[in-house]
Amino acid sequence: MSSRTTFIGAVEIGTSKITALVGEYNGRELAIIGHGECSSRGVIKGAVVDYKAASECTHSALEQAERDAGERIEMVFLAQTGGHLEGFYNEASLNVKAADNMIDADDIRTVSDLAKSKELPAGRMVVHNIRRPFRVDGRLIPGTPENLVGQRLEVGYWTVHGQEPRLADNIHVIRGFNLEVRELVLSSLASGHMVTTAEERQHGVLAIDLGAGTTDYVLYRDGSPHTTGVVPVGGSHLTNDLSIGLRLTEGQAEKLKLRFGRANVQARDKADKVWLDGNFSIGDRQFPRQAIEQITAARTWELLEVVKKKLGSAFSPETCAAGVVLTGGTAKLAGIAETAAKVFGVPAHLGETPSWVAENLRDPANNTALGLLYYGVSSQNERALSNRRRGGFLSNVKRLFASS
Amino acid sequence: MNPLNPTLTPARHWKDIPQQVRHRAMSSEGRRRVVFGGLKTAGIVGALALLAWGGLELASAFQDDPKKMPEVVKAAAMKDLVLVTDGVLDQAWLARTLALPKVTSLMELDLFQLRARLLASGQVRAATLTRNFPATLAVTLAERTPVARLQVEDKAGAPQTLFVARDGVVFEGTGFDPKMTDTLPWLAGVKLARQGGAFLPVAGMEPVAELLAKAKLEAEHLYANWRVVSLARLESDGEIEVGTKDGTKITFGATEDFFRQLANLDAILDAARAQPDKALREINLAVGGQVPVAFDGLTAQTPPAAARPAPVSAPPLFTGFPNH
Repeated sequence: MSSRTTFIGAVEIGTSKITALVGEYNGRELAIIGHGECSSRGVIKGAVVDYKAASECTHSALEQAERDAGERIEMVFLAQTGGHLEGFYNEASLNVKAADNMIDADDIRTVSDLAKSKELPAGRMVVHNIRRPFRVDGRLIPGTPENLVGQRLEVGYWTVHGQEPRLADNIHVIRGFNLEVRELVLSSLASGHMVTTAEERQHGVLAIDLGAGTTDYVLYRDGSPHTTGVVPVGGSHLTNDLSIGLRLTEGQAEKLKLRFGRANVQARDKADKVWLDGNFSIGDRQFPRQAIEQITAARTWELLEVVKKKLGSAFSPETCAAGVVLTGGTAKLAGIAETAAKVFGVPAHLGETPSWVAENLRDPANNTALGLLYYGVSSQNERALSNRRRGGFLSNVKRLFASS
Repeated sequence: MNPLNPTLTPARHWKDIPQQVRHRAMSSEGRRRVVFGGLKTAGIVGALALLAWGGLELASAFQDDPKKMPEVVKAAAMKDLVLVTDGVLDQAWLARTLALPKVTSLMELDLFQLRARLLASGQVRAATLTRNFPATLAVTLAERTPVARLQVEDKAGAPQTLFVARDGVVFEGTGFDPKMTDTLPWLAGVKLARQGGAFLPVAGMEPVAELLAKAKLEAEHLYANWRVVSLARLESDGEIEVGTKDGTKITFGATEDFFRQLANLDAILDAARAQPDKALREINLAVGGQVPVAFDGLTAQTPPAAARPAPVSAPPLFTGFPNH
């Protein structure tokens, strides 16, 4: 990134709302100067199903954010979620070629390219190649192994891929506002980056972003993302269960969920009832509190169980010493941390938005958009640094001859 | 194609998705941004073009009209006078000729007038005067080289030596080495006319200059003996007459090959030298293949091999120099 001031937009096209933030980045610091929000339309489980409705809503949020910032956005970092996203792990190793066994940049590049060179099924595209730490002769290297001495260099990549049409839809929504999508970032990586500390990531931590339509998770080990995933179930399913179970409209069920929903059952008295509206209006009804809690708690437990099952052997209490961190709109459900702790068998807590974030943005539902800005900027900086390390024109020409 | 494993096709990245979007798929705000972006680009291009045009106009205005220069620049005093020349004129001559005031600014100088002063000397073929801000006047000269001498009477009636250049321009000549100018032949058979304070250029000097240059280069021993070159019959007969120091008159055809004529002359003189008892009076190289040669007291004979020159002192070919 250059040192001139850039106005970056972060957009999360979610199932319940679309959030747009404007960040002012001067090459060293990032300041959030604009915020826009719009109730989502045309989006189901993170996927655009009605282009026009989703576009109108997204553009409205972008306009609002630009007005708030008083600046025009130059490029966008876009959050990506949805059930179509999948991941796999692939690793590669090579024998260090130098006579003195000193690892050079070519060795690193070769082993990295090998690890990333796995074919994808037709219609699938790479969204992220997340590198896990290098290993030299089995020894874990937190940083770069360049100039270290060893015989065998290994590296593995967690590759996240998605369906091309789904990815293209999201990009085209932003392009419809005549903005370039500079970076696609997994929602889980964005929010996980925001609610976990570097220390937690080093010790191992599982960040779960409970949205309205999807639940995104990322498991960190040894300081970097180890496994990511998306479960196409979220807070709206809790609402749906309440709606069916208690014979309510979606709106009424949502209202009950927000007021009385819990991730664990606390109500012991079956006779304890709550009013739907509580304003004694015509049509206002009473519902057993225990029934509400049972429905929401059962679905939440099930959802967290699915996450645990999808993680499989990657997750174990021993490798996740920092426990589970919960974020996202549905994480506001009472008792969810206790439930998560029981499901995963490790301590769990709600992710805290850093203190430097403005009061109006300090909501778990905004963590993805906030993290998007920070993750996007830092990944762009890393890439720029890596390009600088690789050298300029001459090095590229040299590589060209070396490979021919 | 994967360079590490050619059988593998590289996985497609999301960045391979084209980011173009159809116009109708854009929102009104998006379309507005496209128009705004276009206008912005056009504005930047226009502003740059305007800036470039303005710069050119400004430069041209300053070059053409010194009055438009800022006062500070106008007021800066001239300090240096720099001369670059391909000839013999020096700084002192330049200062004398330009006669600049002791204190003046570059912008006060009338370059056209100063240039006219330089060109008036005749020795200067071309002059370029450049203001090098803040305080230097640079003068670049291209000078004429003399090919012959003339003697005239000045206004007081005293003899004055002038020089004639290849293009016929007559000038006084400053700074030339006397050793060089003493070898130049005198020019005769010309009618000099004055216009203003200077002489008009001598007509027909081009072939004369060519003959002299060729003689000096190819037969310097002959050239060194040449005393007078006459243009009297150049216009009427196309002949250039040369009078030597020993009184021989040599006639060259102005339209013939000078090199061939010089070679003939050299051969004739060699042959004549073998007969020391005869003196050459006249050699006519302008009639073509045969060269009439006259000896003192004898009529002209051809061919030169049959000539029997008699050692007779020739009467001077030119008895004087035209007075004007």
